[in-house]
Amino acid sequence: MRQYLAFTKKEWLEQIRTGKLLVMVIVFVLFGIMNPAVAKITPWMMEMMSDQLAQTGMAVTAVEVTALTSWMQFFKNMPMALLVFLVMSGSILTAEYQKGTLINIVTKGMKRWKIYFSKMCIMELIWTLGCLLSYSITYGYNAYFWDNSIVHHINFAVFTFWLFGFWLISVLGLASVFCNSSAIVMIVVAASFGASYLAGMFPALKEYSPSYLMESAGLLAGEGEISAYLGAILVTIGLIVVGNVISVIGFDRKNI
Amino acid sequence: MDILEISHVSKSFGSNKIIEDLSFSVPEHSVFGFIGKNGAGKTTTMKMVLGLLKPDAGELFVNGEKVRFGQNTTNRYIGYLPDVPEFYGFLTPREYLKMCGEITDMDKARIKERSEELLALVGLETVNKRIRGFSRGMKQRLGIAQALLNQPRLLICDEPTSALDPVGRKEILDILHSVKEHTTVLFSTHILSDVERICDRIAFLHEGKIARKGTMEEIKNIRKGDSIEIEFFRPQDAARFLQIQEGAVQTERTKVVLSADRQTDILTIMKQLSENHIFIQRLEQLEPTLEDLFMEVVRK
Repeated sequence: MRQYLAFTKKEWLEQIRTGKLLVMVIVFVLFGIMNPAVAKITPWMMEMMSDQLAQTGMAVTAVEVTALTSWMQFFKNMPMALLVFLVMSGSILTAEYQKGTLINIVTKGMKRWKIYFSKMCIMELIWTLGCLLSYSITYGYNAYFWDNSIVHHINFAVFTFWLFGFWLISVLGLASVFCNSSAIVMIVVAASFGASYLAGMFPALKEYSPSYLMESAGLLAGEGEISAYLGAILVTIGLIVVGNVISVIGFDRKNI
Repeated sequence: MDILEISHVSKSFGSNKIIEDLSFSVPEHSVFGFIGKNGAGKTTTMKMVLGLLKPDAGELFVNGEKVRFGQNTTNRYIGYLPDVPEFYGFLTPREYLKMCGEITDMDKARIKERSEELLALVGLETVNKRIRGFSRGMKQRLGIAQALLNQPRLLICDEPTSALDPVGRKEILDILHSVKEHTTVLFSTHILSDVERICDRIAFLHEGKIARKGTMEEIKNIRKGDSIEIEFFRPQDAARFLQIQEGAVQTERTKVVLSADRQTDILTIMKQLSENHIFIQRLEQLEPTLEDLFMEVVRK
Protein backbone atom coordinates (compact mmCIF):
# COMPACT_ATOMS: atom_id res chain seq x y z
CA MET A 1 0.00 0.00 0.00
CA ARG A 2 2.88 2.32 0.84
CA GLN A 3 4.47 1.77 -2.56
CA TYR A 4 1.16 2.51 -4.21
CA LEU A 5 0.58 5.69 -2.23
CA ALA A 6 4.12 6.95 -2.79
CA PHE A 7 3.72 6.60 -6.54
CA THR A 8 0.21 8.02 -6.56
CA LYS A 9 1.45 11.02 -4.59
CA LYS A 10 4.07 11.56 -7.30
CA GLU A 11 1.36 11.31 -9.98
CA TRP A 12 -0.77 13.88 -8.19
CA LEU A 13 2.19 16.25 -7.74
CA GLU A 14 2.94 15.83 -11.44
CA GLN A 15 -0.60 16.85 -12.35
CA ILE A 16 -0.33 19.93 -10.14
CA ARG A 17 3.23 21.05 -10.88
CA THR A 18 3.14 20.55 -14.62
CA GLY A 19 -0.07 22.61 -14.71
CA LYS A 20 -2.15 19.81 -16.23
CA LEU A 21 -4.61 19.82 -13.37
CA LEU A 22 -5.10 23.57 -13.66
CA VAL A 23 -5.79 23.27 -17.39
CA MET A 24 -8.32 20.50 -16.78
CA VAL A 25 -10.06 22.49 -14.04
CA ILE A 26 -10.32 25.48 -16.36
CA VAL A 27 -11.67 23.30 -19.18
CA PHE A 28 -14.32 21.68 -17.01
CA VAL A 29 -15.33 24.99 -15.44
CA LEU A 30 -15.63 26.61 -18.87
CA PHE A 31 -17.71 23.74 -20.17
CA GLY A 32 -19.88 23.97 -17.05
CA ILE A 33 -20.52 27.66 -17.62
CA MET A 34 -20.92 27.32 -21.37
CA ASN A 35 -24.04 25.12 -21.21
CA PRO A 36 -26.36 27.57 -19.45
CA ALA A 37 -24.66 30.49 -21.24
CA VAL A 38 -25.40 29.05 -24.68
CA ALA A 39 -28.95 28.30 -23.60
CA LYS A 40 -29.33 31.82 -22.26
CA ILE A 41 -28.17 33.54 -25.43
CA THR A 42 -30.06 31.24 -27.80
CA PRO A 43 -33.20 33.47 -28.01
CA TRP A 44 -31.07 36.55 -28.51
CA MET A 45 -29.04 34.83 -31.26
CA MET A 46 -32.22 33.65 -32.91
CA GLU A 47 -33.51 37.19 -32.89
CA MET A 48 -30.29 38.49 -34.39
CA MET A 49 -30.48 35.98 -37.17
CA SER A 50 -34.24 36.13 -37.69
CA ASP A 51 -33.95 38.61 -40.57
CA GLN A 52 -31.55 36.39 -42.45
CA LEU A 53 -33.61 33.33 -41.68
CA ALA A 54 -36.75 35.10 -42.82
CA GLN A 55 -35.11 35.76 -46.18
CA THR A 56 -34.49 32.04 -46.60
CA GLY A 57 -38.10 31.42 -45.81
CA MET A 58 -37.81 30.32 -42.19
CA ALA A 59 -40.01 32.05 -39.73
CA VAL A 60 -38.67 32.39 -36.25
CA THR A 61 -41.13 32.38 -33.44
CA ALA A 62 -40.25 33.14 -29.83
CA VAL A 63 -37.87 30.48 -28.57
CA GLU A 64 -38.61 29.21 -25.12
CA VAL A 65 -35.55 28.32 -23.13
CA THR A 66 -35.72 26.01 -20.11
CA ALA A 67 -33.34 24.01 -17.97
CA LEU A 68 -33.76 21.25 -20.54
CA THR A 69 -32.13 23.42 -23.23
CA SER A 70 -29.15 23.95 -20.97
CA TRP A 71 -28.87 20.23 -20.08
CA MET A 72 -29.08 19.33 -23.75
CA GLN A 73 -26.12 21.65 -24.29
CA PHE A 74 -24.35 19.80 -21.48
CA PHE A 75 -24.58 16.47 -23.29
CA LYS A 76 -23.65 18.09 -26.57
CA ASN A 77 -20.56 19.81 -25.16
CA MET A 78 -19.17 17.32 -22.66
CA PRO A 79 -17.83 14.91 -25.30
CA MET A 80 -15.57 17.81 -26.28
CA ALA A 81 -14.33 18.06 -22.68
CA LEU A 82 -13.76 14.30 -22.70
CA LEU A 83 -11.71 14.63 -25.86
CA VAL A 84 -9.56 17.39 -24.35
CA PHE A 85 -9.11 15.28 -21.22
CA LEU A 86 -8.05 12.17 -23.19
CA VAL A 87 -5.59 14.11 -25.34
CA MET A 88 -4.06 15.70 -22.24
CA SER A 89 -3.71 12.28 -20.58
CA GLY A 90 -2.56 10.40 -23.68
CA SER A 91 1.11 10.36 -22.72
CA ILE A 92 0.63 9.38 -19.09
CA LEU A 93 2.57 6.13 -19.56
CA THR A 94 4.30 6.63 -22.91
CA ALA A 95 6.14 9.72 -21.65
CA GLU A 96 7.63 7.56 -18.90
CA TYR A 97 8.78 4.93 -21.39
CA GLN A 98 10.34 7.52 -23.63
CA LYS A 99 12.21 9.28 -20.83
CA GLY A 100 13.10 6.04 -19.05
CA THR A 101 11.87 7.33 -15.70
CA LEU A 102 10.18 4.07 -14.79
CA ILE A 103 13.47 2.15 -14.79
CA ASN A 104 14.56 3.58 -11.44
CA ILE A 105 11.15 2.84 -9.99
CA VAL A 106 10.87 -0.73 -11.26
CA THR A 107 14.43 -1.63 -10.27
CA LYS A 108 13.58 -0.57 -6.75
CA GLY A 109 11.18 -3.50 -6.58
CA MET A 110 7.99 -1.52 -7.25
CA LYS A 111 5.22 -3.87 -8.31
CA ARG A 112 4.25 -3.01 -11.85
CA TRP A 113 0.52 -3.38 -11.36
CA LYS A 114 0.74 -0.68 -8.72
CA ILE A 115 2.30 1.69 -11.23
CA TYR A 116 -0.49 0.91 -13.67
CA PHE A 117 -3.30 1.40 -11.19
CA SER A 118 -1.75 4.58 -9.79
CA LYS A 119 -1.92 6.06 -13.27
CA MET A 120 -5.43 4.80 -13.90
CA CYS A 121 -6.67 6.10 -10.56
CA ILE A 122 -5.28 9.58 -11.16
CA MET A 123 -6.97 9.74 -14.57
CA GLU A 124 -10.24 8.39 -13.18
CA LEU A 125 -10.09 10.80 -10.26
CA ILE A 126 -9.56 13.82 -12.50
CA TRP A 127 -12.26 12.65 -14.90
CA THR A 128 -14.71 12.16 -12.02
CA LEU A 129 -13.90 15.50 -10.40
CA GLY A 130 -14.10 17.19 -13.80
CA CYS A 131 -17.54 15.72 -14.52
CA LEU A 132 -18.74 16.73 -11.06
CA LEU A 133 -17.40 20.22 -11.56
CA SER A 134 -19.12 20.79 -14.91
CA TYR A 135 -22.26 19.11 -13.64
CA SER A 136 -22.55 21.19 -10.49
CA ILE A 137 -21.82 24.46 -12.28
CA THR A 138 -24.46 23.73 -14.91
CA TYR A 139 -26.85 22.54 -12.22
CA GLY A 140 -26.33 25.71 -10.18
CA TYR A 141 -26.91 28.07 -13.08
CA ASN A 142 -29.91 26.09 -14.25
CA ALA A 143 -31.44 26.24 -10.78
CA TYR A 144 -30.82 29.99 -10.72
CA PHE A 145 -32.21 30.82 -14.17
CA TRP A 146 -34.79 28.10 -14.65
CA ASP A 147 -36.05 25.00 -12.90
CA ASN A 148 -34.16 21.72 -12.82
CA SER A 149 -37.19 19.76 -11.73
CA ILE A 150 -38.66 19.60 -15.25
CA VAL A 151 -35.74 17.43 -16.35
CA HIS A 152 -35.92 13.67 -15.83
CA HIS A 153 -33.17 11.29 -14.74
CA ILE A 154 -30.43 13.87 -14.96
CA ASN A 155 -28.12 12.11 -12.47
CA PHE A 156 -28.47 8.82 -14.27
CA ALA A 157 -27.78 10.39 -17.65
CA VAL A 158 -24.65 12.09 -16.31
CA PHE A 159 -23.60 8.80 -14.74
CA THR A 160 -23.79 6.90 -18.05
CA PHE A 161 -21.79 9.60 -19.77
CA TRP A 162 -19.21 9.47 -16.97
CA LEU A 163 -19.05 5.68 -17.34
CA PHE A 164 -18.43 6.06 -21.05
CA GLY A 165 -15.44 8.31 -20.27
CA PHE A 166 -14.29 5.77 -17.70
CA TRP A 167 -14.30 3.11 -20.41
CA LEU A 168 -12.21 5.26 -22.77
CA ILE A 169 -9.72 5.82 -19.93
CA SER A 170 -9.32 2.06 -19.58
CA VAL A 171 -8.82 1.79 -23.35
CA LEU A 172 -6.17 4.50 -23.08
CA GLY A 173 -4.46 2.53 -20.31
CA LEU A 174 -4.58 -0.69 -22.28
CA ALA A 175 -3.19 0.98 -25.41
CA SER A 176 -0.43 2.60 -23.33
CA VAL A 177 0.71 -0.80 -22.09
CA PHE A 178 1.21 -2.14 -25.59
CA CYS A 179 2.26 0.97 -27.53
CA ASN A 180 5.22 3.22 -26.85
CA SER A 181 4.00 6.33 -28.63
CA SER A 182 1.21 8.57 -27.42
CA ALA A 183 0.08 9.20 -31.00
CA ILE A 184 -0.64 5.49 -31.48
CA VAL A 185 -2.35 5.39 -28.11
CA MET A 186 -4.68 8.17 -29.24
CA ILE A 187 -5.35 6.36 -32.52
CA VAL A 188 -6.30 3.21 -30.62
CA VAL A 189 -8.63 5.22 -28.37
CA ALA A 190 -10.22 6.86 -31.40
CA ALA A 191 -10.54 3.51 -33.17
CA SER A 192 -12.21 1.96 -30.10
CA PHE A 193 -14.65 4.84 -30.01
CA GLY A 194 -15.27 4.38 -33.74
CA ALA A 195 -15.81 0.65 -33.31
CA SER A 196 -18.35 1.13 -30.54
CA TYR A 197 -20.08 3.80 -32.64
CA LEU A 198 -20.22 1.41 -35.59
CA ALA A 199 -21.57 -1.35 -33.38
CA GLY A 200 -24.28 1.10 -32.40
CA MET A 201 -25.46 1.22 -36.01
CA PHE A 202 -26.53 -2.41 -35.92
CA PRO A 203 -29.94 -2.65 -34.29
CA ALA A 204 -29.01 -5.94 -32.59
CA LEU A 205 -25.89 -4.48 -30.98
CA LYS A 206 -27.06 -0.91 -30.46
CA GLU A 207 -28.21 -1.28 -26.88
CA TYR A 208 -25.07 -3.16 -25.84
CA SER A 209 -22.49 -0.80 -27.26
CA PRO A 210 -20.66 1.60 -24.91
CA SER A 211 -21.47 4.47 -27.25
CA TYR A 212 -25.14 3.93 -26.39
CA LEU A 213 -24.26 5.43 -23.00
CA MET A 214 -23.84 8.77 -24.73
CA GLU A 215 -27.42 8.73 -25.96
CA SER A 216 -28.88 8.87 -22.50
CA ALA A 217 -29.66 12.58 -22.99
CA GLY A 218 -32.96 11.40 -24.45
CA LEU A 219 -34.04 10.42 -20.94
CA LEU A 220 -34.07 14.06 -19.89
CA ALA A 221 -37.12 14.86 -21.93
CA GLY A 222 -38.81 11.72 -20.75
CA GLU A 223 -38.02 9.52 -23.75
CA GLY A 224 -37.25 5.90 -22.95
CA GLU A 225 -36.56 4.06 -19.74
CA ILE A 226 -33.49 3.76 -17.51
CA SER A 227 -33.65 -0.01 -17.86
CA ALA A 228 -32.89 0.31 -21.59
CA TYR A 229 -29.32 1.29 -20.67
CA LEU A 230 -28.65 -1.65 -18.39
CA GLY A 231 -27.19 -3.82 -21.18
CA ALA A 232 -24.76 -1.12 -22.29
CA ILE A 233 -23.76 -0.43 -18.68
CA LEU A 234 -22.98 -4.08 -17.99
CA VAL A 235 -21.10 -4.54 -21.26
CA THR A 236 -19.06 -1.39 -20.57
CA ILE A 237 -18.18 -2.44 -17.02
CA GLY A 238 -17.21 -5.86 -18.37
CA LEU A 239 -14.96 -4.25 -21.01
CA ILE A 240 -13.32 -2.07 -18.35
CA VAL A 241 -12.58 -5.06 -16.11
CA VAL A 242 -11.26 -7.23 -18.94
CA GLY A 243 -9.19 -4.33 -20.30
CA ASN A 244 -7.56 -3.73 -16.93
CA VAL A 245 -6.79 -7.41 -16.42
CA ILE A 246 -5.12 -7.63 -19.85
CA SER A 247 -3.21 -4.41 -19.11
CA VAL A 248 -1.83 -5.70 -15.82
CA ILE A 249 -0.73 -9.00 -17.37
CA GLY A 250 0.79 -7.21 -20.37
CA PHE A 251 2.52 -4.58 -18.24
CA ASP A 252 4.30 -7.28 -16.22
CA ARG A 253 5.83 -8.62 -19.41
CA LYS A 254 6.71 -5.31 -20.98
CA ASN A 255 10.31 -4.37 -21.71
CA ILE A 256 10.49 -1.01 -20.01
CA MET B 1 29.93 -15.81 -1.19
CA ASP B 2 28.92 -14.65 -4.63
CA ILE B 3 26.42 -11.81 -4.66
CA LEU B 4 25.79 -12.27 -8.36
CA GLU B 5 26.00 -15.42 -10.40
CA ILE B 6 25.34 -15.58 -14.12
CA SER B 7 25.12 -19.04 -15.55
CA HIS B 8 25.04 -19.94 -19.25
CA VAL B 9 22.93 -16.95 -20.24
CA SER B 10 22.10 -16.23 -23.88
CA LYS B 11 20.12 -13.40 -25.40
CA SER B 12 19.40 -12.34 -28.93
CA PHE B 13 17.35 -9.56 -30.44
CA GLY B 14 15.85 -10.97 -33.60
CA SER B 15 18.65 -12.70 -35.47
CA ASN B 16 21.22 -10.59 -33.67
CA LYS B 17 22.94 -12.66 -31.00
CA ILE B 18 24.05 -10.28 -28.25
CA ILE B 19 24.98 -12.61 -25.40
CA GLU B 20 26.12 -16.17 -25.95
CA ASP B 21 26.46 -18.68 -23.12
CA LEU B 22 27.72 -16.07 -20.68
CA SER B 23 28.85 -17.23 -17.23
CA PHE B 24 30.60 -15.36 -14.47
CA SER B 25 30.14 -14.49 -10.84
CA VAL B 26 30.82 -11.47 -8.68
CA PRO B 27 32.09 -12.13 -5.14
CA GLU B 28 30.92 -9.92 -2.31
CA HIS B 29 32.82 -6.75 -1.38
CA SER B 30 34.58 -6.34 -4.65
CA VAL B 31 34.54 -3.58 -7.23
CA PHE B 32 33.91 -5.51 -10.40
CA GLY B 33 34.73 -3.91 -13.72
CA PHE B 34 32.65 -5.16 -16.61
CA ILE B 35 34.55 -4.12 -19.69
CA GLY B 36 33.62 -4.22 -23.33
CA LYS B 37 33.32 -2.20 -26.50
CA ASN B 38 30.19 -0.20 -27.18
CA GLY B 39 27.54 -2.72 -28.18
CA ALA B 40 29.34 -5.67 -26.60
CA GLY B 41 26.25 -6.51 -24.55
CA LYS B 42 27.08 -4.90 -21.21
CA THR B 43 23.78 -3.08 -20.80
CA THR B 44 21.84 -6.12 -22.01
CA THR B 45 23.52 -8.27 -19.35
CA MET B 46 22.77 -5.73 -16.63
CA LYS B 47 19.17 -5.43 -17.68
CA MET B 48 18.80 -9.19 -17.43
CA VAL B 49 20.25 -9.09 -13.90
CA LEU B 50 17.62 -6.48 -13.06
CA GLY B 51 14.81 -8.52 -14.55
CA LEU B 52 14.15 -5.85 -17.18
CA LEU B 53 14.94 -8.25 -20.02
CA LYS B 54 14.16 -11.93 -20.27
CA PRO B 55 17.13 -14.16 -21.12
CA ASP B 56 16.57 -16.67 -23.93
CA ALA B 57 18.47 -19.31 -21.99
CA GLY B 58 20.37 -19.65 -18.73
CA GLU B 59 19.83 -18.44 -15.20
CA LEU B 60 20.85 -15.52 -13.06
CA PHE B 61 21.09 -15.44 -9.27
CA VAL B 62 21.31 -12.42 -7.01
CA ASN B 63 22.33 -13.21 -3.44
CA GLY B 64 21.44 -16.83 -4.15
CA GLU B 65 17.90 -16.04 -5.33
CA LYS B 66 16.85 -16.64 -8.88
CA VAL B 67 16.07 -13.57 -10.99
CA ARG B 68 12.63 -13.62 -12.53
CA PHE B 69 11.60 -11.38 -15.39
CA GLY B 70 8.85 -8.84 -14.69
CA GLN B 71 7.92 -8.94 -11.03
CA ASN B 72 11.42 -9.22 -9.68
CA THR B 73 11.91 -9.56 -5.94
CA THR B 74 15.70 -9.86 -6.19
CA ASN B 75 15.75 -6.16 -7.03
CA ARG B 76 15.49 -5.44 -3.32
CA TYR B 77 19.19 -6.34 -3.01
CA ILE B 78 20.17 -4.15 -5.91
CA GLY B 79 20.78 -0.48 -6.43
CA TYR B 80 20.87 0.48 -10.08
CA LEU B 81 22.37 3.48 -11.77
CA PRO B 82 21.38 3.54 -15.47
CA ASP B 83 23.81 5.03 -17.99
CA VAL B 84 21.64 8.12 -18.33
CA PRO B 85 19.53 8.26 -15.18
CA GLU B 86 16.21 10.02 -15.71
CA PHE B 87 14.12 11.57 -12.98
CA TYR B 88 10.84 13.38 -12.61
CA GLY B 89 11.77 16.97 -13.38
CA PHE B 90 9.01 18.42 -11.23
CA LEU B 91 10.40 16.93 -8.00
CA THR B 92 13.30 18.17 -5.88
CA PRO B 93 16.11 15.71 -5.05
CA ARG B 94 14.78 15.27 -1.50
CA GLU B 95 11.26 14.59 -2.74
CA TYR B 96 12.59 12.07 -5.22
CA LEU B 97 14.61 10.22 -2.59
CA LYS B 98 11.61 10.26 -0.25
CA MET B 99 9.49 8.59 -2.92
CA CYS B 100 12.21 6.00 -3.57
CA GLY B 101 12.48 5.31 0.14
CA GLU B 102 8.74 4.79 0.43
CA ILE B 103 8.77 2.46 -2.55
CA THR B 104 11.45 0.32 -0.89
CA ASP B 105 9.49 0.52 2.39
CA MET B 106 12.12 2.25 4.51
CA ASP B 107 10.81 3.93 7.64
CA LYS B 108 10.33 7.68 7.65
CA ALA B 109 13.17 8.69 9.93
CA ARG B 110 15.57 6.40 8.10
CA ILE B 111 14.63 7.91 4.73
CA LYS B 112 15.37 11.38 6.04
CA GLU B 113 18.65 10.35 7.60
CA ARG B 114 19.87 8.39 4.55
CA SER B 115 18.78 11.17 2.15
CA GLU B 116 20.83 13.77 3.99
CA GLU B 117 23.78 11.40 4.28
CA LEU B 118 23.74 10.54 0.58
CA LEU B 119 23.06 14.05 -0.67
CA ALA B 120 26.11 15.12 1.32
CA LEU B 121 28.13 12.21 -0.12
CA VAL B 122 27.28 13.20 -3.69
CA GLY B 123 27.56 16.91 -3.02
CA LEU B 124 23.93 17.88 -3.57
CA GLU B 125 23.05 18.75 0.02
CA THR B 126 22.50 22.43 -0.68
CA VAL B 127 20.51 21.93 -3.88
CA ASN B 128 16.83 22.56 -3.37
CA LYS B 129 15.70 23.34 -6.88
CA ARG B 130 13.67 20.92 -8.97
CA ILE B 131 15.51 18.24 -10.93
CA ARG B 132 14.41 19.83 -14.23
CA GLY B 133 17.30 22.32 -13.99
CA PHE B 134 19.99 19.72 -13.27
CA SER B 135 23.13 19.24 -15.36
CA ARG B 136 24.14 15.81 -16.57
CA GLY B 137 26.72 15.47 -13.79
CA MET B 138 24.21 16.44 -11.12
CA LYS B 139 21.77 13.84 -12.44
CA GLN B 140 24.50 11.23 -12.35
CA ARG B 141 25.22 12.10 -8.74
CA LEU B 142 21.58 12.02 -7.78
CA GLY B 143 21.48 8.69 -9.60
CA ILE B 144 24.10 7.30 -7.26
CA ALA B 145 22.24 8.67 -4.25
CA GLN B 146 19.00 6.97 -5.26
CA ALA B 147 20.80 3.73 -6.05
CA LEU B 148 22.45 3.62 -2.61
CA LEU B 149 19.41 4.76 -0.64
CA ASN B 150 18.39 1.44 0.87
CA GLN B 151 21.98 0.23 1.28
CA PRO B 152 21.82 -2.38 -1.45
CA ARG B 153 24.08 -5.44 -1.33
CA LEU B 154 24.89 -4.96 -4.98
CA LEU B 155 25.29 -1.66 -6.80
CA ILE B 156 25.05 -1.91 -10.57
CA CYS B 157 26.30 1.06 -12.54
CA ASP B 158 26.00 1.22 -16.29
CA GLU B 159 28.84 3.33 -17.66
CA PRO B 160 28.60 5.82 -14.82
CA THR B 161 31.47 7.98 -16.03
CA SER B 162 31.17 7.95 -19.82
CA ALA B 163 29.45 11.27 -20.20
CA LEU B 164 31.27 13.25 -17.54
CA ASP B 165 34.18 15.67 -17.54
CA PRO B 166 37.41 14.63 -15.77
CA VAL B 167 36.44 16.28 -12.48
CA GLY B 168 32.99 14.72 -12.47
CA ARG B 169 34.50 11.36 -13.33
CA LYS B 170 36.95 11.46 -10.48
CA GLU B 171 34.16 12.38 -8.05
CA ILE B 172 31.96 9.51 -9.18
CA LEU B 173 34.84 7.03 -9.00
CA ASP B 174 35.75 8.23 -5.52
CA ILE B 175 32.16 7.72 -4.41
CA LEU B 176 32.05 4.20 -5.88
CA HIS B 177 35.32 3.38 -4.17
CA SER B 178 34.08 4.71 -0.84
CA VAL B 179 30.96 2.51 -0.74
CA LYS B 180 32.95 -0.67 -1.28
CA GLU B 181 32.84 -1.69 2.38
CA HIS B 182 29.08 -2.15 2.52
CA THR B 183 28.27 -2.76 -1.07
CA THR B 184 29.57 -4.82 -3.94
CA VAL B 185 29.94 -2.67 -7.01
CA LEU B 186 29.49 -3.97 -10.53
CA PHE B 187 30.17 -1.36 -13.11
CA SER B 188 30.39 -1.47 -16.83
CA THR B 189 32.65 0.79 -18.79
CA HIS B 190 34.85 1.13 -21.79
CA ILE B 191 37.10 3.65 -20.08
CA LEU B 192 40.05 1.54 -18.98
CA SER B 193 41.73 4.13 -16.79
CA ASP B 194 38.61 4.12 -14.60
CA VAL B 195 38.91 0.38 -14.21
CA GLU B 196 42.56 0.56 -13.24
CA ARG B 197 41.71 3.22 -10.70
CA ILE B 198 39.11 1.39 -8.64
CA CYS B 199 38.43 -2.20 -9.73
CA ASP B 200 39.82 -5.24 -8.03
CA ARG B 201 38.23 -7.72 -10.39
CA ILE B 202 37.45 -7.46 -14.05
CA ALA B 203 35.82 -9.32 -16.88
CA PHE B 204 36.25 -8.51 -20.57
CA LEU B 205 33.10 -9.03 -22.56
CA HIS B 206 33.68 -9.57 -26.25
CA GLU B 207 31.19 -10.76 -28.84
CA GLY B 208 28.76 -11.93 -26.19
CA LYS B 209 31.28 -14.00 -24.26
CA ILE B 210 33.74 -13.44 -21.46
CA ALA B 211 37.13 -13.21 -23.12
CA ARG B 212 39.16 -12.70 -19.94
CA LYS B 213 38.26 -12.55 -16.27
CA GLY B 214 39.94 -12.55 -12.89
CA THR B 215 41.43 -10.26 -10.29
CA MET B 216 43.37 -7.28 -11.47
CA GLU B 217 46.67 -9.04 -10.62
CA GLU B 218 45.70 -12.22 -12.41
CA ILE B 219 44.78 -10.31 -15.53
CA LYS B 220 47.99 -8.34 -15.49
CA ASN B 221 50.04 -11.48 -14.86
CA ILE B 222 48.69 -13.05 -18.02
CA ARG B 223 51.34 -11.06 -19.79
CA LYS B 224 53.98 -10.10 -17.28
CA GLY B 225 56.20 -7.18 -18.15
CA ASP B 226 58.92 -8.48 -20.47
CA SER B 227 60.70 -5.29 -21.41
CA ILE B 228 62.57 -2.44 -19.84
CA GLU B 229 62.48 1.19 -20.82
CA ILE B 230 65.35 3.52 -20.07
CA GLU B 231 65.14 7.27 -20.44
CA PHE B 232 68.33 9.31 -20.70
CA PHE B 233 68.95 13.00 -20.18
CA ARG B 234 70.73 13.52 -23.51
CA PRO B 235 70.33 11.85 -26.90
CA GLN B 236 74.07 11.14 -27.09
CA ASP B 237 73.80 9.01 -23.91
CA ALA B 238 71.12 6.96 -25.60
CA ALA B 239 73.36 6.54 -28.62
CA ARG B 240 76.27 5.38 -26.45
CA PHE B 241 74.05 2.88 -24.66
CA LEU B 242 72.85 1.47 -27.98
CA GLN B 243 76.49 0.78 -28.91
CA ILE B 244 77.27 -1.25 -25.79
CA GLN B 245 73.95 -3.07 -25.39
CA GLU B 246 72.82 -5.51 -28.02
CA GLY B 247 69.14 -5.82 -28.83
CA ALA B 248 68.21 -2.37 -27.53
CA VAL B 249 65.84 -0.33 -29.67
CA GLN B 250 65.56 3.41 -29.63
CA THR B 251 61.94 4.50 -29.39
CA GLU B 252 62.39 8.22 -28.90
CA ARG B 253 65.32 10.63 -28.94
CA THR B 254 66.17 9.90 -25.32
CA LYS B 255 64.31 6.62 -24.82
CA VAL B 256 65.47 3.06 -25.34
CA VAL B 257 63.56 -0.19 -24.91
CA LEU B 258 65.08 -3.62 -24.55
CA SER B 259 63.72 -7.00 -23.64
CA ALA B 260 64.57 -8.42 -20.23
CA ASP B 261 63.03 -11.69 -19.21
CA ARG B 262 64.28 -11.93 -15.68
CA GLN B 263 64.64 -9.35 -12.98
CA THR B 264 68.36 -10.15 -12.75
CA ASP B 265 68.67 -8.72 -16.25
CA ILE B 266 67.86 -5.33 -14.82
CA LEU B 267 70.82 -5.58 -12.47
CA THR B 268 73.13 -6.46 -15.34
CA ILE B 269 71.93 -3.42 -17.25
CA MET B 270 72.35 -1.16 -14.25
CA LYS B 271 75.87 -2.47 -13.80
CA GLN B 272 76.70 -1.66 -17.40
CA LEU B 273 75.28 1.83 -17.07
CA SER B 274 77.30 2.51 -13.98
CA GLU B 275 80.55 1.08 -15.43
CA ASN B 276 80.18 3.27 -18.52
CA HIS B 277 79.21 6.37 -16.53
CA ILE B 278 76.00 6.87 -18.43
CA PHE B 279 73.50 8.95 -16.48
CA ILE B 280 69.86 8.04 -16.76
CA GLN B 281 66.70 9.84 -15.84
CA ARG B 282 64.51 6.77 -15.41
CA LEU B 283 64.63 2.98 -15.66
CA GLU B 284 61.36 1.13 -15.64
CA GLN B 285 60.07 -2.39 -16.11
CA LEU B 286 57.14 -1.96 -18.49
CA GLU B 287 53.81 -3.38 -17.28
CA PRO B 288 51.29 -4.37 -19.88
CA THR B 289 48.42 -1.91 -19.60
CA LEU B 290 44.80 -2.94 -19.58
CA GLU B 291 44.59 -1.21 -22.90
CA ASP B 292 47.14 -3.63 -24.40
CA LEU B 293 45.17 -6.56 -23.02
CA PHE B 294 41.91 -5.09 -24.19
CA MET B 295 43.22 -4.53 -27.69
CA GLU B 296 44.60 -8.05 -27.73
CA VAL B 297 41.19 -9.44 -26.77
CA VAL B 298 39.34 -7.33 -29.29
CA ARG B 299 41.71 -8.15 -32.16
CA LYS B 300 41.64 -11.89 -31.47
